[in-house]
Amino acid sequence: MTNEVCRITYKMISDSNHKIAIKKDKEMKICFLGESKLKDLMGILLRYGRVFASTETEVASNRSSESRIFIRELNKEYLTGYRVPGFRAFDNFKSFVLPARSKVADYPDAKWIDVKEGKDKKILVGFKACDLASFAILDKVFLDDADFVDPFYKNRRGSLILVSSDCTYSSDSCFCNLMGNYPYPEKGFDINLSEVKGGYLIEGGSDVGNKIIEELSLPDAKENQIIERDKKRKKVLEKLQKRNSEFVGAFSRPDSLASKVFDSDKGWDLGSTCVSCSACTNVCPVCYCFTLFDREGKKKEQYKRYMIWDSCQFKGFSQMAGGMNPRFSQMDQFKNRFYHKFFRFYERYNVYKCTGCGRCIDNCLGGIDMRAVLSGAESSAKVK
Amino acid sequence: MENIYYPRQATLKNIKEETPNIKTYQFKLDKKLKFKAGQFMQLTVPGVGEAPFTPSSAPGEVSEMEITIMKTGKVTDKLHDGAEVGDTLALRGPFGKGYPMDKFEGKEVLVVGGGVGLAPLRSLIYALFDKIEKVKKVHVCYGAKSPLDQCFKDEYKKWESKKKVSVNLTIDKPHPEWKGNVGLVTCLLEKDYLKKRGVDISNSYAVSCGPEVMLKFVTFKLLDVGFKPEQIYLSMNRRMSCGVGKCARCNIGPYYLCKDGPDMCYADIKDYPNVFG
Repeated sequence: MTNEVCRITYKMISDSNHKIAIKKDKEMKICFLGESKLKDLMGILLRYGRVFASTETEVASNRSSESRIFIRELNKEYLTGYRVPGFRAFDNFKSFVLPARSKVADYPDAKWIDVKEGKDKKILVGFKACDLASFAILDKVFLDDADFVDPFYKNRRGSLILVSSDCTYSSDSCFCNLMGNYPYPEKGFDINLSEVKGGYLIEGGSDVGNKIIEELSLPDAKENQIIERDKKRKKVLEKLQKRNSEFVGAFSRPDSLASKVFDSDKGWDLGSTCVSCSACTNVCPVCYCFTLFDREGKKKEQYKRYMIWDSCQFKGFSQMAGGMNPRFSQMDQFKNRFYHKFFRFYERYNVYKCTGCGRCIDNCLGGIDMRAVLSGAESSAKVK
Repeated sequence: MENIYYPRQATLKNIKEETPNIKTYQFKLDKKLKFKAGQFMQLTVPGVGEAPFTPSSAPGEVSEMEITIMKTGKVTDKLHDGAEVGDTLALRGPFGKGYPMDKFEGKEVLVVGGGVGLAPLRSLIYALFDKIEKVKKVHVCYGAKSPLDQCFKDEYKKWESKKKVSVNLTIDKPHPEWKGNVGLVTCLLEKDYLKKRGVDISNSYAVSCGPEVMLKFVTFKLLDVGFKPEQIYLSMNRRMSCGVGKCARCNIGPYYLCKDGPDMCYADIKDYPNVFG
């Protein structure tokens, strides 16, 4: 039995107030990974390719020292003592599919007309549900568009093995529940880890994931462990729901709100503290706007083309030669971000371009809270 | 997998000066391509950058194409100052949907251009000439700053000599060499003027290209004289980078001008913010 991957049919837990409705198309494999075995899992992952994991890191400043979660490469030396953090990383995983700067062509050079499929694998550990949701959103633009598929995105996306994990706590800025997500992964992962007493429950979500779990020869998860996991999940979710209860109204249909109030300045007062620094778009896991940028190469008459992150918060984003700019004022640029996230994107792809991770709130120099902006917009829509 | 960001080589075959700051560049392509009137190309000046331009030559399957360009920014400065016949540049495209040619069948088409905005419309004019038997009439209305700033000067007579075609020109301010209309291009769209030309507004489409401020007042004038928003098409050639609906800067509402345009029906975009900047 130990060599077999156990199959446990997931039981739906519901209570009168909240439903943790996890749709399971088929039976999922859930095993128990003891804390000491995490090292073995990482060892196997390292055989597949380079491992990048969100890691608790001490950050010392002259005032205090605190621990923050950053993504860093895990080498063999760092394996001992590694724990999967219970919260999302400070930086985002977007750069693994859309690097801040990446070469998209040498020209003229026939080698770049077609892009070969990549073989190298990268494993991302400590992915949270909001990060998984962000990849699903980016896929809509770069992968699912039948007319133009981005070959570089496709390569990078295909090379990833995603090892996600449940959130064991949330922060004041988290609002994934408002965006229809949960603080624990449901789909899209290869492997998911859920912290329970003495280790993790490990669940495969793909063939690769299941194969890796099989290699570990793990015991089945016990029923009480699954109940423990679901209790923990429910606790985190309930806290989130309580914290964000005042914004539920605003987020029930943000697309209609954004379009309704876009032309009025009511509800957008909070934007006055925006300094157009672009921190929000850089830390956002789904802000993908970019620009193409050419440079001379080292050889004569050889040139390079790069794709670099751009931000709608910059005036130059839509400024044309000759000076005309359809989004001239800072307020136009500020609104554009909301308009893209909650209206334009929804119209086109039928999903909001926001995962509710709250990184933009954490990093805003002007202290702007997206939830407050939208609920301000809501109250002005009501006045109208 | 096709690299959608790779520009294909194109050799500069000829340069023709239209006005002091507008030139028509003729390119020889490395392989044939098919484009429709209104679709645009991304022109690369190697090492400098890329900018979107709509070809000004006749559409179809071509191995050569003309692009008419005004000197006004980083890429176009380099092109005007440095490019010579025989130089190798690069092109990507065609992108966008182009003009709805099927809709123009049996209709009168008002082609309203301003300045270098006549360039993409020239491609449309050729496409309309190509199926002139199916179109009721073609009225070209073109405004330029002065007689010196008119593009394709030597072609107006040829256009006018065709059946069903009228060419109406105006310049912004009086000029000693000019005997025709004086005033902004909207003066060619006054009700009396259109009546004199025998335009049947209810059976017409208007297609306009030019600076956005001109598009704005052309649109308002057209609405004023009785055009419906559905009868107005505008070439909204805004800043674009990718050309394939990904970089997300050229939108009007949910439409990306690079993928759904750049020629938009005014009825589709009129209710969205920042339509005319």
